[in-house]
Amino acid sequence: MKGQIESSPKILTVTHIQRMCFHDGPGIRTTVFMKGCSIHCPWCSNPENIKFAVETYEKDGISGTYGKGYTPSELVDVIGKDQDFWGLEGGVTFSGGEALMQADGLTDVLKQLKERKIHTAAETALFVPTKQLQKVLPYIDYFIVDVKILEASLCQKVLGGNISLYHNNADILYRSGKLKLFRVPCCWEYTFTAENKELIKKFLSQYPDIPVQIFAIHDLGEKKYESLSRPMWRAKKIEMQVLTEYCRELKSEGIQAEVIQI
Amino acid sequence: MQPRVIPGDFKENGVDKSYDEIFSLICKNIEVSIQKKRFVYFIDEHYVMDTTKGFRLENLTPAYDKILHSGLKQLKYPEQEITNDFCRSYNRVIDQLSILVQRILKKLEENGADCAKQKEWFMNLPDSPAKGFEEAIQRMLFLNQIFWQTDHRLTGLGAWDSFLYPYYEAELSAGLLTRQEALEILKDLYRTLHENYDYKSNVLMGDTGQIFVLGKSDEKGNYICNDLTYLFIEAMKEVQLSDPKCLLRVNQNTPRKLMELALESIVTGIGAPLLANDDVIIPNLLEFGISKEDAYEYTTSACWEPLIGGKSSSPNNMMVLNYLKPLDHLLKRDRLERIKTFDELINRYLLYLQGALNEIKRQLSSIRFPYNPFLSVFLYDCYENKKDVSWGGARYHHMGITSVAMGNLINSLLNIKELVFDTHQYTLYDVKQMVILDFEGKEEVRTQLKARSSQWGIDEENIISLANRITSFVSEEISDYRSYLGGSLKVGLSGSAYLDAAKEYGASFDGRRAGEPFIVHISNEDNDGFTEIISFASQLEYGKSRFNGNVVDFMVSPDFVQNNWDKFLDFLMLCIRKGFFEMQMNVVSSKTLIEARKHPEDFPNLIVRVWGFSAYFNDLPEDYKKVLIKRALRNEGAA
Repeated sequence: MKGQIESSPKILTVTHIQRMCFHDGPGIRTTVFMKGCSIHCPWCSNPENIKFAVETYEKDGISGTYGKGYTPSELVDVIGKDQDFWGLEGGVTFSGGEALMQADGLTDVLKQLKERKIHTAAETALFVPTKQLQKVLPYIDYFIVDVKILEASLCQKVLGGNISLYHNNADILYRSGKLKLFRVPCCWEYTFTAENKELIKKFLSQYPDIPVQIFAIHDLGEKKYESLSRPMWRAKKIEMQVLTEYCRELKSEGIQAEVIQI
Repeated sequence: MQPRVIPGDFKENGVDKSYDEIFSLICKNIEVSIQKKRFVYFIDEHYVMDTTKGFRLENLTPAYDKILHSGLKQLKYPEQEITNDFCRSYNRVIDQLSILVQRILKKLEENGADCAKQKEWFMNLPDSPAKGFEEAIQRMLFLNQIFWQTDHRLTGLGAWDSFLYPYYEAELSAGLLTRQEALEILKDLYRTLHENYDYKSNVLMGDTGQIFVLGKSDEKGNYICNDLTYLFIEAMKEVQLSDPKCLLRVNQNTPRKLMELALESIVTGIGAPLLANDDVIIPNLLEFGISKEDAYEYTTSACWEPLIGGKSSSPNNMMVLNYLKPLDHLLKRDRLERIKTFDELINRYLLYLQGALNEIKRQLSSIRFPYNPFLSVFLYDCYENKKDVSWGGARYHHMGITSVAMGNLINSLLNIKELVFDTHQYTLYDVKQMVILDFEGKEEVRTQLKARSSQWGIDEENIISLANRITSFVSEEISDYRSYLGGSLKVGLSGSAYLDAAKEYGASFDGRRAGEPFIVHISNEDNDGFTEIISFASQLEYGKSRFNGNVVDFMVSPDFVQNNWDKFLDFLMLCIRKGFFEMQMNVVSSKTLIEARKHPEDFPNLIVRVWGFSAYFNDLPEDYKKVLIKRALRNEGAA
């Protein structure tokens, strides 16, 4: 509201700034992992990014904290260190957790990046209030959108997500022309069931011009779960061949799918 | 690396004969062995000149081009120009070389018609310039073999792509040579120089100093290369030998195609070419007083210390500066209770560092190089000056020192800053005790220190400015040094002794136990991506004599490069722009290294980059194997 005095400065909570990323958008990128998520996927490989508050952990007898607060300007300065490596294509990607849950602070960061003409991207699961999405939309060039459980009640039950909100957000994004890539994490138990596979196919067919990456979920988050003393859910292994088969199926529907390894 | 046997006839009544006599004996008596190969190349390892007394002229690159443009005889002083003993020795050296050429010819004669081509090359050598591509290579090989025969260790190779191009181009356009044939010739060149691998190796197997320096820049910043620049890399990639190797000079305008070829070679695991950034190196050479004409033609000593090949007479790695030692002295000798702030600590540190540098300068002042007319023939300006290289005949006489443990020093200092001065958890006496006792009874502190991410290599202003403050002090302190030939001293942040020097060295406050290796050059396996170490390196200062080799060294898994080929190539191109000084990569996975350590028999040809050279993994001492595995694991984030 105009004239309103800001009561607290906008602080962004970030768990990690990964430099030289090759996978989160075009070119060479710096990926900022924002703390806090709106859903809770059982297969999450970034457990340190689920809670919004800063957490302490212990790893090999050494304790530390997950999460560090930055003002928007501080964050821009830190990520700007790699500016010379972004070249014409690369830039900054916000991931998480759910980066869009910190839309307030993020908008300030994005505005500063856009002033410097830096390419911006976000990886999101889109389970965020549409208002939040619209706030950042003008300043993000490239969205990578996760496709997870699409059946309404399971989505609610397993992820805690509202599927109509997701569809609505996806449509808005698509119309903006900034939806550039879908990503489908596959596990037998949740996203790779026969029903969900069908739903995914149907969903993706609505956006035939958007490329899709499918991949098997991995257990690289194991050490992080240990450090937080939280149990890790283990998925049944999906063979590459199975993914390739599904990929072929998607392609036959005119979907530009590819299998990637993470 | 074999024990040296000195031939009895090099002495008379127990006293060494003169240089001229010994050189003459070598040319007359070495066993001429000719194999059925493209090139004639032999070193009689049992009849080598002995230069082990006093200081050696080693780690140099002779002027190979001098033997191309005329016959041996035209290099001599005309009778009326002979005005001193040096001129006589100089001419005698050439006469003796001609005698050796005659002996080779005789042997070729005995071998009959098979050697017609080689015979012609050696017939030309005394009187005429080299005529063709292969002949030019043969001449430079001949020169190279005599350098090894006369005990010049770590003999560099230099800019052979430039030297050979006119011959290549002429034969190509005359239809006498195809590109494919040239490639095969260069592969034979690599194989030839790889012979005598054991004899040529210095401290470790593979440490031979044989490095081709390819590509260059002109004054406008254009990149200069030719088809041979590519062919030298292609040949190296195809022969897959640990030695010799290439260094590729690069600048912002280096063609992407050439960088791609370099990367294709690097990912085979051979660790080469090493990249040297002209945009950073040349301005520093100019500032140091190297002429424009020479700075743009720089090569390197055995591994990475920039050197004006064919024109510079002084070795670049005379001594090693250990950056931790002054901190050790401070902790052991100073009245620590008087040091109240971190800034005071740094000032005290610099005082001890000054002591260490004075010691180095003192030792270097006692150096006198031995008389060496053979080297004088093949270094520019000795002829014009009528002076032996040991009297200052060559154009440049600067000397270099290398360094170790700057990374460990920076980490130790920053730990002390935080734990002693900022949070007051320990006193400097506690630090002293822990370091002296190798953390005995304080294992938990050591574990905590060790678990901290290395600060060396993080591109934060306070870390970079601390490093620059220390190196700028060093450059200031050594600026008054002059060698007996009038040369200045230079220093760098790379050194080969990170393992050997560390073995006998006590603990340090970065959690390093006594005897554990020092940090390797400019490296940081805890970095969040290679951009960080490049950004860090590009903010270090290399000016005012600090250009004696500054190599960023990182390990990268082959999958990472191969799965991200174009982006990795983009990254390399951007690294040049960002401004690293030099860069080398080990593209090998920890899994391969661990397997190779367990089952050496399965990996006879696994090549890795060690300090400034590549070596067979199996030839390395266990300590080096462990360091490489540890670095690879940390880089892959598994440790």
